Amino acid sequence: MSGRARVRARGIIPGHGAREVGCAPGDLTASSIASPGDSQALSSGTSSISQPPNTGISNDDGGRTFTERGKVRRDVIDLSVCTREKLAHVKDCKAGSSGIPLQLVTNLFSLDLPQDWQLYQYHVTYSPDLASRRLRIALLYSHSKLLDKAKAFDGTILFLSEKLDLKVTELTSETQRGETVTITLTLTTQLSSSSPVCIQFFSVIFRKIFKKLKMYQIGRNFYKPSEPVEIPQYKLSLWPGFAVSVSRFESRLLLNADVSYKVLRNETVLEFMTDLCLRTGMSHFTETCQKQLVGLIVLTRYNNKTYRIDDIDWSVKPTHAFQKRDGSEITYMDYYKQQYNITLSDLNQPVLVSLLKRKRKDSSEPQMVHLVPELCFLTGLSSQATSDFHLMKAVAEETRLSPVGRQQQLARLVDDIQRNQVARLELETWGLHFGSQISLTGRVVPSEKILLQDHTCQPATAADWSKDMRTCKILSSQPLSRWLIVCCNRAENLIEGLMSCLRRVGGPMGFNVGYPKIIKVDEKPAAFLRAIQLHVNPDVQLVMCILPSNPKNYYDSIKKYLSSDCPVPSQCVLTRTLTKQGMMMSVATKIAMQMTCKLGGELWAVEIPLKSLMVAGIDICRDALNKDVVVVGFVASINSRITRWFSRCVLQRTAADIADCLKVCLTGALNKWYKHNHDLPSRIIIYRDGVGDGQLKTVLDYEVPQLLSSVTECSSGASSSRLSVVVVRKRCLLRFFTETGHTVQNPPLGTVVDSEATRAEWYDFYLVSQTANRGTVSPTYYNIIYDDNGLKPDHMQRLTFKLCHLYYNWQGLISVPAPCQYAHKLTFLVAQSIHKEPSLELSDNLFYL
Amino acid sequence: MEVAEKNIPCNSVVGGNFEEVCSEKVIRFKPPLYKQRYQFVRDLVDRHEPKKVADLGCGDTKLLKLLKIYPCIQLLVGVDINEEKLHSNGHHLSPYLGEFVKPRDLDLTVTLYHGSVVERDSRLLGFDLITCIELIEHLNSDDLARFPEVVFGYLSPSMIVISTPNAEFNPLFPTVTLRDADHKFEWSRMEFQTWASRVADSYNYCVEFTGVGTPPAGFEHVGYCTQIGVFRKNSGKLAEPFVSQQHDQHVYKAVYTTSYPSLQQEKVLKFVLVGELLIQVERLRLRHQRMLREQEKELDPKPGDTDFSQAPHLLLGEVFTEAEKARIENSPQPFCEGEKFCIPLRRLLAYPKLHRLCVEEDRMRSLIADSVCLSNDGSAIVVDLHNSWDYWPEDN
Repeated sequence: MSGRARVRARGIIPGHGAREVGCAPGDLTASSIASPGDSQALSSGTSSISQPPNTGISNDDGGRTFTERGKVRRDVIDLSVCTREKLAHVKDCKAGSSGIPLQLVTNLFSLDLPQDWQLYQYHVTYSPDLASRRLRIALLYSHSKLLDKAKAFDGTILFLSEKLDLKVTELTSETQRGETVTITLTLTTQLSSSSPVCIQFFSVIFRKIFKKLKMYQIGRNFYKPSEPVEIPQYKLSLWPGFAVSVSRFESRLLLNADVSYKVLRNETVLEFMTDLCLRTGMSHFTETCQKQLVGLIVLTRYNNKTYRIDDIDWSVKPTHAFQKRDGSEITYMDYYKQQYNITLSDLNQPVLVSLLKRKRKDSSEPQMVHLVPELCFLTGLSSQATSDFHLMKAVAEETRLSPVGRQQQLARLVDDIQRNQVARLELETWGLHFGSQISLTGRVVPSEKILLQDHTCQPATAADWSKDMRTCKILSSQPLSRWLIVCCNRAENLIEGLMSCLRRVGGPMGFNVGYPKIIKVDEKPAAFLRAIQLHVNPDVQLVMCILPSNPKNYYDSIKKYLSSDCPVPSQCVLTRTLTKQGMMMSVATKIAMQMTCKLGGELWAVEIPLKSLMVAGIDICRDALNKDVVVVGFVASINSRITRWFSRCVLQRTAADIADCLKVCLTGALNKWYKHNHDLPSRIIIYRDGVGDGQLKTVLDYEVPQLLSSVTECSSGASSSRLSVVVVRKRCLLRFFTETGHTVQNPPLGTVVDSEATRAEWYDFYLVSQTANRGTVSPTYYNIIYDDNGLKPDHMQRLTFKLCHLYYNWQGLISVPAPCQYAHKLTFLVAQSIHKEPSLELSDNLFYL
Repeated sequence: MEVAEKNIPCNSVVGGNFEEVCSEKVIRFKPPLYKQRYQFVRDLVDRHEPKKVADLGCGDTKLLKLLKIYPCIQLLVGVDINEEKLHSNGHHLSPYLGEFVKPRDLDLTVTLYHGSVVERDSRLLGFDLITCIELIEHLNSDDLARFPEVVFGYLSPSMIVISTPNAEFNPLFPTVTLRDADHKFEWSRMEFQTWASRVADSYNYCVEFTGVGTPPAGFEHVGYCTQIGVFRKNSGKLAEPFVSQQHDQHVYKAVYTTSYPSLQQEKVLKFVLVGELLIQVERLRLRHQRMLREQEKELDPKPGDTDFSQAPHLLLGEVFTEAEKARIENSPQPFCEGEKFCIPLRRLLAYPKLHRLCVEEDRMRSLIADSVCLSNDGSAIVVDLHNSWDYWPEDN
């Protein structure tokens, strides 16, 4: 069916059919802290995909809909998963005690209510029944009985802050036409301030307030487009704003606000297409266009809605007609002229197709809208843009806020709310008192020593101990004697220099590098691959490829072949990297360390008091080429020292980002552990990263049992290992600052917060394990959802901190426990380059570093 | 317009914007009558391009929302006695997000006032168009008597549009006496025209009568469902803005006000100029690159290279008029200096999207100076001919 026919068949009006604001990826949380050890951190850390917006509550002032669609915000769903009550050892107290207490300021704000505050929910019916929501609302609002009361009504459900005298109240009202209507209000529930409905209700109130402050809601955040930050050279505008959430923390209702930026591209989709056409030429144009645009979020010029591009229909032009809901036909061109007084300049452009999430009442098919490229602006950063180092740097310059800058923005927000009369009135009528910034006491856990072969060092700073270990021997390494270097002719002269540097840094490290076999090839991806296929045999320990610029084609085919078809560790280096003057020694050090790890070596350790402990990390992401495929990475330690790892990656076809291969992964790891230690680990602690809002219950109900069944089956009679599962979150709205005099700073490394900013329902804590040189540090959030080990909170926190020291790609602390980062690195390689499961022969080596 | 026989209960009358509905016979206007009234005003705005427009009795601000998209309007005001309605609808009049990306040419301020149309407020003086859509029938006799002297005598805009129900049409609605409970009266055509002509005469306006909502076949004699009078000031001149400080009279309460970003604001102009400029520069750079590639190809033709032969039926990008083409061709050409690509500012200014911004070369130079790289003499923009948009995964 042609696009036109499709539209006609469903009778959809562009722009009109859409009622909801689409999700808005590319929201930039202003943190953008790149964990320096992670090469992808800059891109993955800066542009966070915001969750699709909740649809439970809309906030048209004409009438709000509270629960009629029966959906509850996803993070609210998570809160109903009360995991702590099942964990006996933390039921009374989940706080640790070790370390030095530290006063911290947060980005939480008090939202106080009178002691006995309740929200009264009424069900409202009309007799005779009224179909029009507007009329229902108008009649109720104008009734004298309710005139001075704080009320919110969506046409069916009414909220009042004061209880009416009777359980059932009948009101009589007259329509403008003189008809008498009886309105019956029936009290259905009394809600305490902690109930989920109530919390959603507060969110609605704040949404209204932000609107009054002339902010626009996009996705879940609020932005001020009137005060943009421009980055003209990249055609970008950044709209400053806030990510806000109201929820119940440990003991009280709090508002959490963090600075956020919305990225807008100062070009229409049509302009983007025209440029692309010039770049690619016609033959690949439609294909490339599809690839670049599908999935992006656009903002239309004639309303405030955002849409996801799901398809491009090249057969439909603005001169084509479509059927309006009333049955009449009109061309797109005339429609926009009539409706919005917009004249389209290009009548040959195709249309963008967007499928709306919300379905129409009468059909199961998702609703579809056609959008005209000329009237759509691109939002967010493309993958192209996020991989452009200079662009990302320019964006970071603008969005990276120091603690002081952030604190100023927050203070301004609070000030704006408190000064705005309408906003203040809105809060007052509901009895809400919005005010002070919350301070709390955290703790700084002791710093860790780094254990090397015959030396223990106490780094000057845990952020980077590369200097401290410059002359130290690493724990263990395999000598590298049988290896290849594949390069093109032009790069041959670089090899001598690289080799001498590798030897110079390898010697003190204890990593012996023999002379490689050098293979010269043409500067073509196929030539590299052919040479590798020809020369690599099982005897080869490692293949190094020196790649020319634009390495993506080379990289993917080489990694695919050497990770899966012919499993041999590989090291790719860019020619560009080897020509950096004065950097050779540090480049060589990094390469030497990576090669050591890829050969199964161990670099350093920290002291782990628990013997027989296995730690594992799980991360999940979508395959870059095939979005139906989920890539699950599982990395587990296989020795007590936690220096050797078992890595496995599984591809699965599932709609949800939930793993169903965990049993086989953990069993594989336990077998490996048994092989090395002739016993099973007595404790297993698993860190699960990549859990989205609303998925907590699924992880608990679906993933934890897989892990448990693996543990039970492996133990077979003997006392089985005890399991703990920790959900790890790098992105949370929460920030902590230390106050010194009149200024605020980032908290020190090792800061733990396990009270007030945590949740009563969960056994959770925050840990600061990374530094931010110029920006504001983002704490990592840990939620222990399953815990047979019963370790003291103190020990759990410290163990987690220790594990953040063990990522061998960075000589310093990182933001998550090392197994999570390994799992992330593994899934990233598979999802971006390999697209199939790497060979298990490599599972003993960190081949993906 | 269609008349359908249907049994629909009589409950869909809502506010002022209703479809006339009754139990036996449904008279359904297509488009709905209220939309026809708004369209009438929009057509007037299209034709006369007023700068300052006020809607008295703006209610839920629907008409204002339709009018804010007109580029000619620079001041848009709504007045109503229902403050709550103004409060809750104000934000509908704020600029669309897209208007921050592609701003208007001219400034626009939208203000909502709470107040009565029979009170004088000097902030409504000097308007080009004042609309009173379905307003006068809501006025009691005292207010109706004061209405002409305030609107015609005091505010005295160049043009006034007054619409009101035509009572002669009402018999076509079976049960209706008055169309709305709040209507104080509904006039026949004669009554309205008599009143209107008298008012026009006393305040030196001329008036034409028309209407929207054509009656069904066979009932042509009842006239339009809504009757409209369009009043124009006789002086023929547009009203001069004669707001003098002495006569400042602020009785209305400003409930909501918003200003739109526009090219009249230096910051916005700079943003748009640099944006359009960079798009054009990029386009010229790519075109030049392609030209070089083609030249190379001609020297070294490869079989099977079908880059341009199988182009789909697509024509993307601007289509220039002959005059635009001539202007572009008469401007200095872009040129290469080694790996640098230079585009003269005058060339750039010849392209329609930049030309329309009406910026002199010198002004342009100063506006863009800190956003782009200029040649030594400042006459051209300089960019790298090849700037890789390839990406570089880190070494690993």
